[in-house]
Order: sequence, then C-alpha cells, then structure tokens
Amino acid sequence: MSTVQSPARRPSIRRRLSSRSWRRTVAFYTFIAPWLIGFVLLTVLPLVLGFLTSLTNYDGLNLANIKFVGLRNYTRAFADIDTRFSLGRTLTWSALNMPIWMILAFILALLLNRDVKGQGVFRTLYYLPSVIPVVATVWVWKIFLDRNYGLLNAIISLFRPGTAIPWLSTHALLGLTAIAVWSGLGWGMVVFLAGLQGIPDELVQAARIDGANSWQVFRHVTIPLMTPVIFFVLVNGLISSFQQLVLPLLLAPTGMNVPPPRSSYLYMIHTYRQIFVYQRFGYGTALLWLLFIVIMIVTLLVFRTERYWVYSEAAVGEEGR
Amino acid sequence: MMVGETRFRFRKVMQRPASYAILILVTCLISLPVVWFLLTALKKDIEYLSYPIRILPEVAQWENYVKVFTTGGFSFSKYAWHSLFLALSFSILTSFTSAMGGFAFARFQVPGRDRLFTIIIALLIIPAIVTVIPQFIVFSRLRLTNTYWPWILWGLTASPFHIFLFRQFFLSFPSELEDAAEVDGCGPFRVFWSIFLPNAKAALATSFIFNFTWVWGDYFTPMIYLSDAKTTLAVKLATSYLDPKGHALYTITLAACVVYTLPLIVMFFLGQKYILKGMVTSGLKG
Amino acid sequence: MTRRMTRRELLRVGGLGSMVAFLAACQPKVVEKVVEKEVTKIVKEVVKETIIVEGTPQVVEKEVTRIIEVTKAPEAIAAPPAAVEGNVVVMHFRHELTEDEENQFEADNPGITIEFVAADLTRFFAMCAAGTPPDLLRCQAPSIPQFLARKMLYDLTPYFEISDVLSLDDLAPANSYYRGYSPVAIGDGPIYGMCKDWSPDFTLFAYKPAFEEAGLDVPDDTTPLTYQEVFELARQLAVFEGERVVMWGYGYGDWWVDRIWMNVLGELDQSLYADSFTRIDLTGNEHAQAVTKYYFDLASENLVANPLNPSPSWNGEDFTKGTLALLQFGYWYSASAESDITAGQVVMLPAPTWAGVRRDPTMTATGMVMAAASKVPDATWKVFEWYNGLEPAIARAGGGWGVPALKSMYDLMPSETEYQQQVQRVLQEEFKYAKVTLQFNPFLGETTTADVWAKNLELGLRGDITFDELLANVETEVNTAILEGVDRIA
Repeated sequence: MSTVQSPARRPSIRRRLSSRSWRRTVAFYTFIAPWLIGFVLLTVLPLVLGFLTSLTNYDGLNLANIKFVGLRNYTRAFADIDTRFSLGRTLTWSALNMPIWMILAFILALLLNRDVKGQGVFRTLYYLPSVIPVVATVWVWKIFLDRNYGLLNAIISLFRPGTAIPWLSTHALLGLTAIAVWSGLGWGMVVFLAGLQGIPDELVQAARIDGANSWQVFRHVTIPLMTPVIFFVLVNGLISSFQQLVLPLLLAPTGMNVPPPRSSYLYMIHTYRQIFVYQRFGYGTALLWLLFIVIMIVTLLVFRTERYWVYSEAAVGEEGR
Repeated sequence: MMVGETRFRFRKVMQRPASYAILILVTCLISLPVVWFLLTALKKDIEYLSYPIRILPEVAQWENYVKVFTTGGFSFSKYAWHSLFLALSFSILTSFTSAMGGFAFARFQVPGRDRLFTIIIALLIIPAIVTVIPQFIVFSRLRLTNTYWPWILWGLTASPFHIFLFRQFFLSFPSELEDAAEVDGCGPFRVFWSIFLPNAKAALATSFIFNFTWVWGDYFTPMIYLSDAKTTLAVKLATSYLDPKGHALYTITLAACVVYTLPLIVMFFLGQKYILKGMVTSGLKG
Repeated sequence: MTRRMTRRELLRVGGLGSMVAFLAACQPKVVEKVVEKEVTKIVKEVVKETIIVEGTPQVVEKEVTRIIEVTKAPEAIAAPPAAVEGNVVVMHFRHELTEDEENQFEADNPGITIEFVAADLTRFFAMCAAGTPPDLLRCQAPSIPQFLARKMLYDLTPYFEISDVLSLDDLAPANSYYRGYSPVAIGDGPIYGMCKDWSPDFTLFAYKPAFEEAGLDVPDDTTPLTYQEVFELARQLAVFEGERVVMWGYGYGDWWVDRIWMNVLGELDQSLYADSFTRIDLTGNEHAQAVTKYYFDLASENLVANPLNPSPSWNGEDFTKGTLALLQFGYWYSASAESDITAGQVVMLPAPTWAGVRRDPTMTATGMVMAAASKVPDATWKVFEWYNGLEPAIARAGGGWGVPALKSMYDLMPSETEYQQQVQRVLQEEFKYAKVTLQFNPFLGETTTADVWAKNLELGLRGDITFDELLANVETEVNTAILEGVDRIA
C-alpha cells in the first residue's frame, strides 16, 4: 500500500511524519511508564544503597558505627582464592548445564507440538518437575543419588558390589546438573512451545507443498522463526545459571549449616556464605556487583550477536520504511 | 498439488505411533522422580532413605495427607487464600503491564529505546540479594511491611523478565498489521489493545502461569515482609511439619508439597489448552 | 508517701483451677483489685501477704495494676504507663510458640498483642537495618557475647527481681549464659534473657543391637567413657560393605564441633582463643592440636559422617533408623531417639571425658532476649515472663524435649517408661557437672569456626592439604574473621 505524493504536498508530509514520530515517542513512554516509574521509585534507591553497602564494613547489625572502606572489598575479591575458585566452578557448571538443558527442553517442545491425543496430559507431566518445590525436589533426588543408601549406587552395586559413588559430595557438580536439568525443563519447554505455536501453520504447509521434507521445514522455517525465543531462553538461561544458588545450597549435607562441597561451590554460594555465615555484607555485595559485571559482559556479547542470527519481523519491517 | 497434499497427510498418519512411543518413553524417564516423590509422601519418616532400600512403603501412610491439614498448627484454607490473593493479583497486574512494556520495546523505533532496554536486561542480571535489605528499608519507611502492598506495587510496575518475554514475542509479528491499523486511523493503544493483545494469548498465558507459580511458591519474600499471621502457604508448608526440636518431618512435608503443587498443575493443565486454542484466530492469516 | 507491696506467690501443681495474680506496672496512685484466672502451675507454696495501703479497692473489668516500689531500677519508674499494653514483636519459631498459645496469652492479657514473625536471619538483619528490631528474639548462647558487645540487649535484672513468676534463684545453671558483666565475662552478673530449656549436651546415646552385632557389651551408664575409648568403640562398631557404610560408628553435632573442642579444652583449663579472644590458637597449642586431630581421624576413617561421606539427612535420623551406633547429643534427643526401629534399644550414657575431668554443660542454651531498642519493655516482659514461667514452659517441661529452665519444674520431666527412667538417672548425675559455661568469642558469628573447619576438612580428607596445613588455614581464616569482628564492633 503506497501513497504517491506530488511535490506540492511535500512540506505537509514532513510535518505529518514528524508529528507521527512524536506521537510514537509519546506512546512509547506511556507504555513503559508503569515500569519506568517503578524502576525509579522502588528500584534505583535500593540499588544505590546496595552499591553503597559494598563500600562499607556492614555486617547486618553495626549500622550505628558503620565504616566506609572504599574499594577494599573489591580488591579483596581479586585476591581471594575462593572467589576465583567459585567463579571457575560456575563457568564449568554453566558450560555443563546450559547446552544439555536447552537442547532437551527444545526437543521436548518439538515432541509436544504435535497433534496427538492427550497432549495436554503430556505437557502437564513435563511441566510438573519445575513446579515441585525445590525442597521436595532435593529430598526426592537424594533418594536416588545418596552415597550410601541411594538407588543409583544400589543399582551399580549389583554389578560392582560395595559401590558408593559420592554423587553429592565429591562429584556434586554432576548430581547438581542432573537435578537442575530435570527441574528446569519445564519452563524452557513452555517458552519454546509458545514460540513454536507462534509459527503460522500455513508457512509450514506452504513449504511442504513446495516439496520440503520434515528436516528442511525444521531448518528453514521453524528454526529461523524460533530464533527470537531461543535468544530469550539463552539469555535468561545464562543469567540464571550464573546465579544458581538455592539448589546447591539445599544439596549440601545436613542442609544449610555446613558448607556445600567444593565440587558445587558456585559463585553465588560463595557470596551467600560471605553474607550470611560470615556477615560480610560489604564484601558479599561487592562480589554480587562483580558478578553483575561478568554476566553483563557475557549478555552484551550475546546481544551483539543478535542481529546475525535472530530473525525479527519488526526489524525487517523497519528497514523497509 | 493434490498429490503433495495426500503425501503430506499420509506422512502425518505414519508418524503417529512413532510419536506416541517416543512421548511415552520420555514421559517415563521424566516422571520417575515424580513417582518417587508421590511414593515417599506415603512413607513413614524412618523409611525415607533407609537401608535396605525400600521403593514402596511398607504400609501406605495415607494419613500423612490428613496430617498435612491437621498437624501443621495453622488453618490451611486461611493461608491458601493469602497465597491465592497474592498470586492472582500479582500475576494479572504484572502480565498486563509487562505486555505493555514489551509491546513498546518491540514495535516502537524511538530514541532512547535501546538504552532503556539495556537497563531492563541489566535488572535481570542483578541478583536479588543485593536489593533485599535496602528494599525492605524503603518499604518499612513507607510503612508497607506486613501488608500485601509490595506485591501490588511490584505488579503495577511490571517485571523485566516478562517485558523481555513479551518483547521477543511481539518482535515476530508482521508489520503489515500495524500499518493496516494505522491507515485505519487507530492510535497506538488501540493497536495494542485490539490487535496485538488478542493475538498474544500464548504469551499472556505463559506469563501469567510463570508469575502465578513464582508467587505461589515464593518462600523468601513473604519471610521478609509478612508476619506469621499474614504469610503465605509456601512459608507455612516449609516450616510447619517439624518435630518439637525443629527437625523436618520429611514425609509429611513431602505430602504437603504434593497438596501445594496440585493447584499449579491444574492451572497449567487448563492453561496449556488455552495456549493452543489462542492461536487459532489471528490476523496473520491475512 | 511510701507504698509497699509484698508479694504473694500462689503456685499449685499441675491441675485445674489454680489462680494467679498478674502484671506489674507502675501506677503510684490507683490501686485495684486483683483479677484471677485459671492457670495450671506447679507447687511451691510460699505465701506472703498483700497489704494495700491507700485508696479503696476498685473493680476493674480487665486490667490489673499493681503498686511496686522499685529501689534498684530507676528505668522502671521513668515512664509509668497506665496499663501494660502494646504490640510486642516476637521473632521465634512457630512450632516453639504456637498460635494456640499466642491466642491464650492475648485472651489473658487484653491490651497486649503479639505480632509473630518467623525467625529468619535475613529478616532479622533487615529489621535491625530499618531500626525496628523485634522486641523478643529467639537466640542461642553463642550470640549473647556478640549482642552484648553491640549493646543490643535490654537488662532484665530489675524485672526478674520484682517478678512473681521468675526468680533468679530458681534458674537452672544453663541460664548463666544469659548473664554477663561484659562480653568476655559471661556467667554471672546482669541478666539479659533466659533459655527456654536446655540439656547437658555431651551425653551419649547407644544403640544396643549395634553393640551386639560387634560382640561388645553396652558400656555401663554410671561410669563415663574417655574420648579415646569412644574412638575405639567407633572403630569396632562401624560396619562397611565395600565402600558403603552400613552402620556408622559414631556421630556428633558437626555444626557445633568447635563447642565440643571448647568443652574438652576446658577440662585442661585451656581455651581455643588467646589474647582476650582476638585470635584462635591451634598450631601453638598442643592440646588443641590433639583434639582437632581426633576429629580429623574420625572423619578420615569414615567412622562419622563427613563432607566426603555425608549422612542422607542428619545423624539424628541415622540413629533412629538404626544405622548409627553411638551418638553424642544432649537430653533433648532422648525424646526422639526411640523410633519404631530403635524402641527399647536405646541407652543414654554419661558424657565422655578427655582428661578425666567431667564437664557437661549445654552448648546451645536456646532462649530469648529483649531488644534494647524495644519501645514496649513492660509488655514485652509480660510475654517473656509468660513464655518462660507459665503455661508454655510447663508444656515444654512435660514433653521431654529439654530440661526445664526453672529448677522448680524439674519434676515435670517425663519418667514413666523404663527408658525414660534410665535417662533421668544419668541426667541427674550429669547435672552435677553442668554448672560450667563455655565462653564464646564475642567477635565471631555462631558458626564461623565450625564452618571454617568443615570447609578445610573436605580439602584435608581429599588429600589436597595436610593436617598441619589444615590447622594453619583454619587459624588464618578464623583470625581474619575475628579481626573483622573487632573492627565492626569497635
């Protein structure tokens, strides 16, 4: 739909265009106003306070005689062996967990996107693990993974008697990965499924009528249209895997009183313990801000690649304007 | 064209048993821990992780479920209502305001947009622990602790995660829709309300379910803000089934978890059908 | 114008229809009649007279006020409220202060409302940061030096002195943890709280079938073992199947291991900490080295649950499942030690000794303190008094989950079954050795030392570091924490 403008009408086009973009600007800010207001009023101040805390020796109780220590907490983070160790563990953990989880969740969504009877039941069953409370998940998986009384070791013991592989202590990262993948599948599957549902049917049918087989449809229709959703899951998955805390914390022997095993000593666990066991709020908050920077860099890198592989109608549409 | 269609339909029919087989196999694998979960909820505490290993309880302790309601020392329905209220109000508010935000970030090419979106992403990354105590202080000074207002306010001010979700979702809408609507003289809000929102039922349902699940199961936020009388079911369930010395009674707590998870499952089961149906009507078919 | 009021204490043994007079407030002018209520209490009849000097008794429906003469605590007179009322914020565990009890208190004390907040560390810090700490806080002995150093506690001595319900003479020895002249002089002096119950924490529980399996006799319950004997027993009692543990030899509270060390070193008049608690001394103290080596060896031989070989839940449950032979816990554990599997098979043994000196204090002394910043101290004291001296305390005493904090309630401990009687026998003997206290470090958190130990223990067990390096690491890390603590408090 095009409009042909005669030269005589040009000035008013410009006026119309600029008032149009002004209206769009106003509309944009109106739409994000709820978030923006909340951000300024409810988030900025706590963030600033949170940052200021990292410059002090606050310990939860010494507000009356708190001391500023400048950047000492930050330099400490670089000198602390445990900090570096935990960062390394977190990177290993993400590299282990992310691919497995994303691929499995995607496969599940594909499986469930078909027109089979009772798919509602199947979808619900696949979503179930992610809504079970973390505590229950941990207790139930311990039945499987416990060193001395767990099912897995019992099964292995049938072949090699007396086996007691410490899935939750020495090899805690493996145990953690199994549990995290299992319980995380639900939300990944749901988001992928919503994305798959958003692929218009006639595109798929058109491709098939043109002679494409399933694999080609998958590669040339499904994947490209799914890239925005994949991008979303990737970014959020990375962020949450770097921030993983509750699961490894609960897996520690006798709950939260004793330090988690070195194998699953993730960065957030290190930070959590600095704050709640040693009451080093200042140092802990500094660690959190450092983590923030690390994740930010990783995320921005991923965003940089967005235009190369993520398909977006709106972007395409705008370029055509 | 006819031949192609027939071949297409034939292929679909052929795939069905294979699909079923795979689905059932995968379901078994994924549901195995869930089965343990249900079985353990029927055991006595000493049967939990005992040696020799017992898969089935010696005597199914159905009374565990009765104990969930009677021995917790609290009124189940009262706290369930608290949880329901918070989860519903938060989810509805957040989903709507986040849809607005996501729509704006996706469809308006406007100065400052990208910088603001970077802030959104940055907010996703900031670990919540950083702001827990400072935010508590803010709410405390506003005298809003021990009320449900924090959730309402958080709902009204949208959630970065969900803004991101809707943005990605709305990105994939073709621009012809908007153009057509504009030519018809619709303002941006009409476009949003009448065209984008109705077609976003999948994303709305997803967002709502995530929000609801999060608030329903959230243990930490009510612990920080609410007194015991006003707190949610999640907190009560996690802390009430203890022996007098404070050690958890595993099997009863697991039974409580079953009870607590049921509404989420039902909700999801009903909702996922809606995700499917929601995509039927759309202006995308031209 | 002097008014004098002498006290009357009416206490009757657990039955129906006892009466009690309530409330203390300052109201120099009006005198009113005592309102009596139904409450069950214990026996100790000390009858004194009540003299009302001035004014005509007036009947007031609900509230009771009394005239008191306070000679020692000027704070009490400073701001006399009309009646005791207020909103008391209590931070506690719901299963230790139930909703029913709360309602009962509020019914008996109209004007006072309890706002119950579930105990949570983050919440506590947040409330302190916002300037609104809870009026009553559930805490344990190791926190007291820290709180004292930060001046966060309300001196309750004046209240104790005028109370009808709680008397300083009636306090069990464990309450000494809540008394201190200074953060490093705990044990006597002004009192800041009291425990809700306690146990001599170093006793042992033995599972008879484990001994039979190993061909051993269950030790006699009148003679204490030595820790070295315990080690030997653990070796013989532990059963393995390849790498699997079928029966654990021994168990103790790992998250409190430093307190056990403190008690052991106390036998030798040694301390973990040197230089007025500004540093921990392990490498320089041969006794500390020996004690810590003992626990390291227990772990490396897999006789106890350790970071590499953890218990599936906790060792208390291991014992009740019949997979743990010998467990070191206090009297409080006796109530849960008997399960379907272990019923009739449990024996409580006296606390072991390291060097022949018997010491068996409590190492937790869970109780409550009042915040110095409390805006409603009188109302808070009412709640405190009720919780520690009235119905809830009586209920706790009869449950067998701890020794009552008031000596007058000792008779309420259960002793019907043979097992309970055996436990009581050992317990009564242990009381003689329970009068000492452990001096905790005011600059450290409750779990710091044990935590540092556990973390380095894992490295040591894996062979990443030697035992000497382990000790050196623990020393360095704990000293860092101590110095931070000094810095924060100073």
